Amino acid sequence: MSNLLDRLNFLQSRELEQFSGGHGQVTKENRGWEDTYRNRWRHDKIVRSTHGVNCTGSCSWKIYVKSGIVTWETQQTDYPRTRAGLPNHEPRGCARGASYSWYLYSANRVKNPLVRGRLMKVWRELRQTKTPIEAWTAIQSDPILRSSYVTTRGKGGFVRASWDEATEIVAAANAYTAKKYGPDRIFGFSPIPAMSMISYAAGTRYLSLLGGTCMSFYDWYCDLPPASPMTWGEQTDVPESADWYNAGYLLLWGSNVPQTRTPDAHFYTEARYRGTKSAVICPDYSEAAKFGDVWLNPKQGTDAALAMAFGHVILREFHLDRQAEYFEDYCRKYSDFPMLVKLEEKDGRLVPGRFLRADDLKGKLGAKNNPEWKTVAWDEVSGGLVAPNGSVGYRWGDQGEWNLEERAGKADTRLKMSFILDEDHDSVATVDFPYFGGAATPAFATGQTHPDVLPRNVPVKTIRTAAGNVRVATVFDLFCANYGLDRGLGGDWVAKIYDADVPGTPAWAEKITGVARDKIVHVAREFAQTAEKTGGKSMVILGAGLNHWYHMDMNYRGIINMLVMCGCVGQSGGGWSHYVGQEKLRPQTGWLPLAFALDWGRPPRHMNSTSAWYAHADQWRYETLTAGEILSPTAPEGDWDISMIDYNIRAERMGWLPSAPQLRTNPLEVAKAAKAAGKDVPAYVAEQLTSGALEMSCQDPDAPENWPRNLFVWRSNLLGSSGKGHEYFLRHLLGTDNGVLGKDLGEEGRQKPKEAVWHDDAPKGKLDLLVTIDFRMSTTCVYSDIVLPTASWYEKNDLNTSDMHPFIHPLQAAVDPAYESKSDWEIFKSIAKKFQEVAPEILGQETDIVALPILHDTPAEVAQDQVKDWKRGECDLIPGKTAPNYIAVERDYTAIYDRFVALGPLLDKLGNGGKGIGWKTDHEVEALRKLNGVWQDGPAEGCAKIVTDIDATEVVLMLAPETNGEVAVKAWEALSKATGREHAHLALPKEDEKIRFRDIAAQPRKIISSPTWSGIESEEVCYNAGYTNVHELIPWRTLTGRQQLYQDHLWMRAFGEGFMSYRPPVDLKTITEAVNTDRGQPHVVLNFITPHQKWGIHSTYTDNLLMLTLNRGGPVIWISENDAKTAGIVDNDWVELYNTNGALTARAVVSQRMKDGTTFMYHAQEKIVNTPGSEKTGKRGGIHNSVTRAVLKPTHMIGGYAHQSYGFNYYGTVGSNRDEFVIVRKMRKVDWLDREATQKEAAE
Amino acid sequence: MTARLKDRTLKALSLLLSYPTRDLQRAMPEIGGALAAETRLTAVARRDLRPLVEALAASDIYELEEQYVMLFDRSRTLSLNLFEHVHGESRDRGGAMVSLVETYREGGFDPATSELPDHLPVLLEFLATRPEGEAREVLADAAHIFEVLRERLLRRDSAYTAVFAALTQLAGGTADAEIVQDLLAQPEADPNDLEALDAVWEESEVRFGPDPNAGCPQVRDMLARMDMPAKPAPDLAAE
Repeated sequence: MSNLLDRLNFLQSRELEQFSGGHGQVTKENRGWEDTYRNRWRHDKIVRSTHGVNCTGSCSWKIYVKSGIVTWETQQTDYPRTRAGLPNHEPRGCARGASYSWYLYSANRVKNPLVRGRLMKVWRELRQTKTPIEAWTAIQSDPILRSSYVTTRGKGGFVRASWDEATEIVAAANAYTAKKYGPDRIFGFSPIPAMSMISYAAGTRYLSLLGGTCMSFYDWYCDLPPASPMTWGEQTDVPESADWYNAGYLLLWGSNVPQTRTPDAHFYTEARYRGTKSAVICPDYSEAAKFGDVWLNPKQGTDAALAMAFGHVILREFHLDRQAEYFEDYCRKYSDFPMLVKLEEKDGRLVPGRFLRADDLKGKLGAKNNPEWKTVAWDEVSGGLVAPNGSVGYRWGDQGEWNLEERAGKADTRLKMSFILDEDHDSVATVDFPYFGGAATPAFATGQTHPDVLPRNVPVKTIRTAAGNVRVATVFDLFCANYGLDRGLGGDWVAKIYDADVPGTPAWAEKITGVARDKIVHVAREFAQTAEKTGGKSMVILGAGLNHWYHMDMNYRGIINMLVMCGCVGQSGGGWSHYVGQEKLRPQTGWLPLAFALDWGRPPRHMNSTSAWYAHADQWRYETLTAGEILSPTAPEGDWDISMIDYNIRAERMGWLPSAPQLRTNPLEVAKAAKAAGKDVPAYVAEQLTSGALEMSCQDPDAPENWPRNLFVWRSNLLGSSGKGHEYFLRHLLGTDNGVLGKDLGEEGRQKPKEAVWHDDAPKGKLDLLVTIDFRMSTTCVYSDIVLPTASWYEKNDLNTSDMHPFIHPLQAAVDPAYESKSDWEIFKSIAKKFQEVAPEILGQETDIVALPILHDTPAEVAQDQVKDWKRGECDLIPGKTAPNYIAVERDYTAIYDRFVALGPLLDKLGNGGKGIGWKTDHEVEALRKLNGVWQDGPAEGCAKIVTDIDATEVVLMLAPETNGEVAVKAWEALSKATGREHAHLALPKEDEKIRFRDIAAQPRKIISSPTWSGIESEEVCYNAGYTNVHELIPWRTLTGRQQLYQDHLWMRAFGEGFMSYRPPVDLKTITEAVNTDRGQPHVVLNFITPHQKWGIHSTYTDNLLMLTLNRGGPVIWISENDAKTAGIVDNDWVELYNTNGALTARAVVSQRMKDGTTFMYHAQEKIVNTPGSEKTGKRGGIHNSVTRAVLKPTHMIGGYAHQSYGFNYYGTVGSNRDEFVIVRKMRKVDWLDREATQKEAAE
Repeated sequence: MTARLKDRTLKALSLLLSYPTRDLQRAMPEIGGALAAETRLTAVARRDLRPLVEALAASDIYELEEQYVMLFDRSRTLSLNLFEHVHGESRDRGGAMVSLVETYREGGFDPATSELPDHLPVLLEFLATRPEGEAREVLADAAHIFEVLRERLLRRDSAYTAVFAALTQLAGGTADAEIVQDLLAQPEADPNDLEALDAVWEESEVRFGPDPNAGCPQVRDMLARMDMPAKPAPDLAAE
């Protein structure tokens, strides 16, 4: 509409009424145009919501709704204020979040349930005469029918289905699988629950009621830093971003804060106004680099060498030549530096061995409770050996002395950190340390010549043990030797000056990293000086870039060592800030019962994804890394020459790692057999496993009985984003077209595994059914058999928390789900309902047997102080001690839905808890009955209802200490029993606070301090990890109870990682003669790095045109000017990257930002967007993971050993991917493959 | 409801563009008959509709469904949500959709479908209840989109091409050629239709030097683009 003709454009009448003494004026012109403008920005309501799964920002947003349609969103600005002197949190948000509303109505949205056409056709035909179970059975029993849809995965061919039909197929498949193979063959993968807890819980609750397998994510993403559980017994706990502001010195190491932590970056900027100095360490000139007062650009993958040199300087100047009082005091109390290590003899030489334990000594230092788990130190007060409080031996059994008071039992102590003084040591011994720097591949070699074993002198005491005299040294003395510091004890491989080319020095690191030695010294000195003057306010913000290397632990432990040496951990403004992936689910202990149906049956079935995908995408069949290549030259005697999957199999059978599918035999059948034999389940399984009548599935992952059969993927783009070894997934797990370019071990004639059974014919298509639940047609959806449309983040109710800030706030349904979509909660509810209808044909009330690994934070964690394998006759199979525990769980397959929507009786009966403490929670359960209502009849009679997603949020909020002050007080009191100290004061002021869903809908709420976390929520300090360890004297949950910088497990020593050292990237051998078809043509071989991007959150937003337009509209790789020149590439050329794992296509961004020798491909750019065909594979170009393959590391499999025990997303194998190299060359011809697949192609 | 239908042809075209079902297959003879009798369409247009009518009547339903999902659910450039082509992922889309819903409501209807208001079959059904002149005006406003979809479907040799040819005729026969060309030249996200994408990928060249007042070329380009009016939504609310 236009009012152009009705109003004056250039003139205004002068004859107007005036008021307020001429300051006001009445105007007469037509103002209709204003209505147009007003209407344009008019809205009916504003709803608070946020952005769901994989963004860590956890920003609260206002969603504007008009006539039932979301029109736009803006940032919320009502976070509770911080205290005086600290900047507020807002504005939080970024371009990605601001573009989300467009997803709701995008043409890429999944509108209806979709089913692969061939499957749908067969299904409908069979269903005319058969029941759902019979129909699914018929399809699975007929290889031609099965392969008719399996082989067309990823090739289009979807038809719409009704919800009723789609859920019926899913339910029938699940029931059939549980009956035929076992419920543990039903897998489910969903990541990062913190960002939408209820949506995650919906799927895992359904799976857990069934006995299905919930798969981990944090380790698989390789965001889990195993160094954290190793050092702290803590998955990951970090300062909130506001605490950056309190830092005195900020080291940004491999983290690109302005690009990937956009909503938090303002604290980094503001800290600089406060005078905080900042050094930025990253190989490329990143967005963060320009924030640095100094920028260090080490060669990629050599960070550990840099960290070691920093540590060398800090030790020299602050611990040896001068002892900074604060550092000394901190390390004595809060690190394992004073603990004693036995030196073990091997071939007449000494190597650091196990921690000395009370059990080693005659009289066991008076310890009756767990003496083999109490570490020992030298005490100056008594002048003898003591077992200081706080080690894991104090945690379990007799309680009350698990604390960090300077005591051993009731006696006061003062522990000695070093025997360097003449009067303190009995002798100086030469101890061997492994050196791996010499094993670098050509891309990382420096020409330095150092032997692979470095003997160094260490002051030792000789003490009498039950087994005779042994020499012992403190961790600190060994630690200094490991860093190559000359302490006047003579001997080789130690340095007095920084310019000596001795492993550990700045001069040595300069050659490896390319960073000038004076810069290293400068930064190390400033870092430590600041920490000394401020009582620990030096902080390292690090990104997962460092964690994605095979030897990530060395990078991380190098950095953690610096922080501990300088007393920074547990101090506000200091510490370790690793912000990647897990994204703190703050009300965790309230959420666990809901998510894993602990209210109905315990334990749930968990699996670590890395090991599972390695086995079941058959990536192990292509393993080129041998144990010999990474074994330490100082390794103790042992049968180390086995392959990575063999290590994993051993770990599974010793109960270290979880195991699913668990047994070749259906666990429902095993339970029946045990019952028939009149035996107890654990005893029966132990007996049958020992005799060989039962076999663990892990030994033979390719046998059809051992395949995972059904897979749910929700809130995730497994195949488009996180699936390392993408092409292997396609080939073996899915059984469809793939771009694997290499050959397997059999075809190559390499050494095959010893424990794993080898089949010459590799399976193709292990999955019977792949179901993906998403709101957009992602790469994973494209490959699925069934796609279910889910509600977007503005169409459902849910909870959201982050480690970046201390608030909890909601996702809310601003509008009803568009098209046919439903929230995840409603989807799994409808599947559960269908299951309950369909399953009784073949399943009733059954006993399931769940294999449970030895879990961290449970009394079982003090299981195996020695490594013994029952299978090889080294010990008996004792479930839960030398092997997984086997626990009977009762399932009612006729009441899956009834249980899904009710809070089961076990919370009343068994209580609730987490991280090793428990409390009664009947009061909260009763409150939920009143709040949500009660089921009056049926299988859940008398139980509180959990019908809607809001009901579910209330369960979480009511049960969690973080959102219910009363529970927080109970939880702290429960912890007091173990520590013998009073902690409840941390929550008492908030005892009456109970946060409800409607509260957080009104405004984000700050959570309440709870013992689940190591920091506190207070009006005095920011949240900072380790705070309660340092200030409340709660031990870290490690073997020694302290921050543990020495790892004494047999496998840690065997693989040379007792102490931190520099380990160059491994050789994955993917650039073979055979694969390289570009010899003689311009090309370049580059290290392939996949950092996070600016215009997407993982794969989300990478199909959003606005975001695409801000970048280059499709997949790109970054390459340096020199490398581009070598390969004859100019900016914006189409290039192909390939190696034996597969190939991908992208545009080249040629940039001075890049360091020679590397190429970046931003993580997770969708294959479905603007990706042409690959000349190498003839298929559509792959994704970033097409050129990667997961490679396991044995040290991550360790279990049954205090802090090195399994926990879901806590410890386990991780999917590293940065050691990979690719051939990069210009594409000769760009083929968009824009024909539709012909019938023949599709059938192939 | 049928009592309120004024234009059976538009209703028939709405059905042709709906997701194929067995019910639709059974109704095809009647639908085909209605179209064959439509004198507003040229003989050629009526003849061209026949293959689609026959295919919908007689082909395997699963093939039809797969084809439909592939074309209209999976390809952005063929989306039947009209505003996808007008507003794409811009902020204007929500507002435009709101005006459309309000138009339906003024016309005495509430949308009773899970489809969005700008879904073409929904619009066609609504227009089938409106006086002919009004319907034609609305169609004329959208004619350029029909023309673009017709062109894209033609490239794929799809029988659905004929529906859009028919719609163009019903709209009065002339789409603004310039707008059509603009739309066809627009960069696309679809791997099936990508010639034009290259243009987007080209970043303007950074030049340091002679003209200090020219400013940053990216900003200049961006400002130039902002000065161009966003393509107006078919202003249905005003009618």
